[in-house]
Formats: sequence, structure tokens, C-alpha cells
Amino acid sequence: MNAPLESAAPLAASQLSLSYGHGRTRRRVIEALDLTLPAGQVTAIVGPNGCGKSTLLASLSRLHAPDAGAVLLDGRDIQRLPAREMARRLALLPQETQAPEGLTVAELIRFGRQPHQGLFQQWSAEDKRIVDAALTAADLHALADRPLDAMSGGQRQRAWIAMAIAQQTPLLLLDEPTSALDLGHQLEVFELIRAQAAAGKTLAMVVHDLVSACRYADHLVAMLDGRIIAAGPPREIVSEALVGELYGIACTLIEDPATGSPVLTNLRPLR
Amino acid sequence: MKTRMLSLPQWRARRADAVPAPQGTWRLAARISGRDLSLLVDRRAALANLGLCLALAVVALLSLCLGSLPLDPRTALNGLLGQGDVMDVFVVQALRLPRLAAGLATGAAFALAGCLMQTLARNRLATPGIVGIDNGATAFAVASVIGVGTSLAPPPMALVGAATATAVTFALASDIGTRGYRFIVAGIGVGAVFGALTQLMMARVAIDAANAAYPWTVGSLNTRDASAVLWLSAGLLVAFVGAAGLSRAMTVLRFSDAVARGLGYRVKACRYLALAIAVGLTGLAVAVAGPVGLVALIGPEIARQLSSPRGVPLTASVLAGALVMTAADLTGRLLLAPIEVPVGIVTAIVGAPFLLWILLRPSSRFVS
Repeated sequence: MNAPLESAAPLAASQLSLSYGHGRTRRRVIEALDLTLPAGQVTAIVGPNGCGKSTLLASLSRLHAPDAGAVLLDGRDIQRLPAREMARRLALLPQETQAPEGLTVAELIRFGRQPHQGLFQQWSAEDKRIVDAALTAADLHALADRPLDAMSGGQRQRAWIAMAIAQQTPLLLLDEPTSALDLGHQLEVFELIRAQAAAGKTLAMVVHDLVSACRYADHLVAMLDGRIIAAGPPREIVSEALVGELYGIACTLIEDPATGSPVLTNLRPLR
Repeated sequence: MKTRMLSLPQWRARRADAVPAPQGTWRLAARISGRDLSLLVDRRAALANLGLCLALAVVALLSLCLGSLPLDPRTALNGLLGQGDVMDVFVVQALRLPRLAAGLATGAAFALAGCLMQTLARNRLATPGIVGIDNGATAFAVASVIGVGTSLAPPPMALVGAATATAVTFALASDIGTRGYRFIVAGIGVGAVFGALTQLMMARVAIDAANAAYPWTVGSLNTRDASAVLWLSAGLLVAFVGAAGLSRAMTVLRFSDAVARGLGYRVKACRYLALAIAVGLTGLAVAVAGPVGLVALIGPEIARQLSSPRGVPLTASVLAGALVMTAADLTGRLLLAPIEVPVGIVTAIVGAPFLLWILLRPSSRFVS
């Protein structure tokens, strides 16, 4: 029986090493990385393309097995957790979401109940209540019976997040949840993510846009070449030097007058 | 009188405490030894299955009635029960019933295998016939019939052939789910090699042996072997149990791998199990009827058209496959009577345009 190492951190990586590819093209992307997700907060993982942030998220959700080290969920190695138990404790919104043709929003969200159901427990009063609550949380009641293919990108992404909400897990990981969305839809999705943290969940997301990450995350993890070069509250760690190191650009950092979060202006090449 | 040990499953849809079922489904609930059990039945799928059952009953009855000695339905049914004229009883029980059973079993097996493989590869073209499993099974069955270096009977040989073709395809494609198209392309190549091997064997042996093996190369229910039908029936029973257990996993396998794994499914294990069932069914069905692989494409397609997108139409595929196979065999028997057109040729004549229709149909994504 593994004793919890740190009860305050529901998900942590310890000396995690990850490789990518097969055979001769296999290369180490992440070497001996340590990470803890603060409980009840939104963590954003940022960094340039190819820094290993999506690989890290895949490993945190057990899609990618480590070469060495471990990901600990409440102190237990996730590689040893049964698949269904894992799905009751951690939900994932992957980047590649593909759904069967013709599926409606409500039908998609019902799939979130799968880890809690069985071959002969297919629909309970609790399932009904939780699916309704997920529809309400994502503001999708009016669209519940619309086919997924007929919805806008933002609505579809909210439906996927609602499915993850219906999984009723204390942890939710999202891989670039706003990558293909316009500004308005990005905002909807980020607001939904914030609401989940307010409801007590622990969330982590890979985000491309540093400004959105600063605005919506409590905890920022900046990655470069498979290493974490800075971690902490956005306001404390984001600096012009950090932006230069991460993206190779110079900028002027100002404070958002309304929210106080850092905003990048006057972007230009470093040299 | 009350039984206290076990309350029978009861229909609770109208009770005040009933849980509302999601749209388009019926919820069947029961309380057995303190555990709440519930099943969701998809209305559209249930109606589709009912319709297919009725159609199947009609075609089955027709295939007992029609032939060189036409019988009216009453006589045919009496003959089935062993009553009436000796000749009628003989025709129904000894000639038409075994053939009908073989058609039902092979059609069900091909179509279930097709539906499983399409789902696990997430591609409608990934049926056993297209990825060369039929051809592998045929080559080995023909080798057995004409006695090339083996003493195994056709059914186990066809199984070995199906497994061999799949293994070779796997080795060439390295993966199935994430790279479905690679698996299909490799399978088409492997199938072509096995097809050529079959032709080579047929060309090299004496004409009598080639004649004995011929039905296996075109697909026919005329010369089915009773032991092969028994093998297939046993295989079908095992496959039904396996497919029922996998049915929930199959609905989730239609999503991307990351989603399916996030929902707590062991995607690789489910895929291998479904593939093993599909390969076994195909091998055993080929041993009975030869490579009638298009049923594996047509059956699930009909099933999918009739059922809802909520689930994977495994049951409907079984029924539709059996229906297509028996209907095709009946057509082949009657079309140019007294000459018989092999069922494989009938399904090819109907199936090829059907395949084109799937590919060319407007607004269809043939990779689903």
C-alpha cells in the first residue's frame, strides 16, 4: 500500500523522463522532470512548439508511458491504477477529439458516465442528474439534442468539456482547449474552465497563448526543451526576460488595467 | 403469492420513481438481490432489429419453399417438422434446411466480423475481405482440399490461413487503429499474394482436385461440409458472447484513442480481442462458404443505415448479414435454374455497385 506522498497535490510528476518516436527516431523529450499541480487551481503549461508540453500532458493522463520516474495520483503511480479507476479520478480533453457521425450533444455527454457504469448498470437517476448538471454548467441545455457536427467550434468544445465534467473527476486535464477557436469562443471555454476550478476541481491545460494563460491560470509552468524553466503564479514569474528565453522575442510587459494580469506589447525580434 | 428470494425484472417505465430515459431509448430496470440493474435499449436499433428479423423469417421461409421442387409454405413448414409427403420432407430437411443454416451462419459470421473490424480500425473499408483475411483463409482451405503438404481439415486450415494473413498484414502495417489506412493497404497487398497462391495451386494440381477445390475459390453454399458448419456454429456462439461483452467498448472505440482511453477503456486490449473474434469468424465462415467477403461490407452498411449513430450495430449486422447471404443464395439458385450461380458471384454482382455507391455517395465520409 502506497502512502500518499503529499496530500495537498492530487497529481504530481516525480523524476519523469519521456521519449518520443520509435526505433532510431526515438529521442528523449523530457528528462527527470518534477511537477506538482496545486489543488483546486488552474495550471497552465506554456512554451514554444516542441518543448514537450503536450507530451507531458499525455504522460500525466497515462496516454504516454514514462521511461523513468512516475506520475503520482494522490501518491499512487498511475501506471498501476486500473484503467476504469483512473477514468473516475482524472478526465482528459485531448487535442484530437473525433466523434461518430450524427451523435448529439447529450449523447456525447452521456459517454462521460461510462467509467461509472457497467454492462448491466447503463443508466441511473444519478447519471441523469449529473448529465443534466454538465449540460447546465456548459450552458448547452438548448442545444442538447443537436448533432455535434452541426455546431460551432466553441459549442463543440464546450460539449467535450461537459463530457469530461460528467465524468465527475476531481482532476481535469485539457490539451490546447482553445487552439482552433476565435476570440469569443476562446473566452467561453476559458470561463467554463475557471468555473470548474471555482467548483473545487484541479485543472491543468496546455495553452499556446501566453497572455490567455496569464489571464486564466493561477499557476504557470513554463517549459523549454523538456525542462521547466519557471513555475509559479503568472504575475510573479512572467518577465520580459522569460518571454525572451521562451520564444526568442523581445517585448514590453504591462499590467492589464482591469485584471492586473501581465500583457505583452511591442513584440519584436530579439536581435 | 409473493416470491421473496428474487423479484423478476419488471417494467418500471410508468412508475412515479422511474428514471427518465434519454431521448430515443427505453430504459429497462430491475432490482435483483439488492442491486439496481438497468439497460438502455435504443428504440431505433430495436425497431431495425425487429424489421430485419421479420425480413429474415420471410427469406428463410422462401428458401425452404422455392427450388426445382416448389412447395407452398404450409407444406414446407410441415416438412420441417417431419410431416407430410416423404419426398417433401426429404427436400426440406435434407437439402434445403442445411443449406439455409449454412447461409444464415456464414452471413452472420461475415457481417459480425466486418462490423467489428470496421469499428476497431475506424474505417468502413477495413473488412476482412478487403484486408486479405478471406484470401488467406481460402488459400489454406484450398491447400487442405487438394492436399498440399498438410492433413488438417479445411476449417482449421482456413482458421490458420486467416490468422496468418492477419499476422503478416500486422507485421507490415505495424499498427491498426491509429493508422487504419496502412493496415488496409498492407492487407490488400497480402490478400493479392494469397489470391495468387490459390490460383497457382489450382493450376498445378490434377483437374479432379482442382474441381473439388473450386467452390472455395468463388464462394458457394452448394458443397458445404457438415463438420465445417458445426465448427462455424460453435465459433459463432463464442463470438456472440465475446461481442456482447465488447459492445460498450466498441461504441467508445469510434472516438479517437485518447478519448477512449480517457474514458477508462484499455483500447489496445479491446482492439486485439475484437480482431481475434473477427479473424476466427472469417476463417470458419470461409471454410463453409468460401470467400464471400462482400457480405462483411454490405451487412454492416445496411445495419448502420437502419440503426442510430448512438451505438455500434453489432446485432443488426448479424441479422443483415444473414439476410443478405440467404437472399443472395436463393437468388443464385433460382436465377438461371437449373444452373446454379454461386453465392459469391451473386454478392459480387450486387456488392461491387454497392461499394461504389458507398464511396461516391454525396455527403459521406467513407472513413468514419
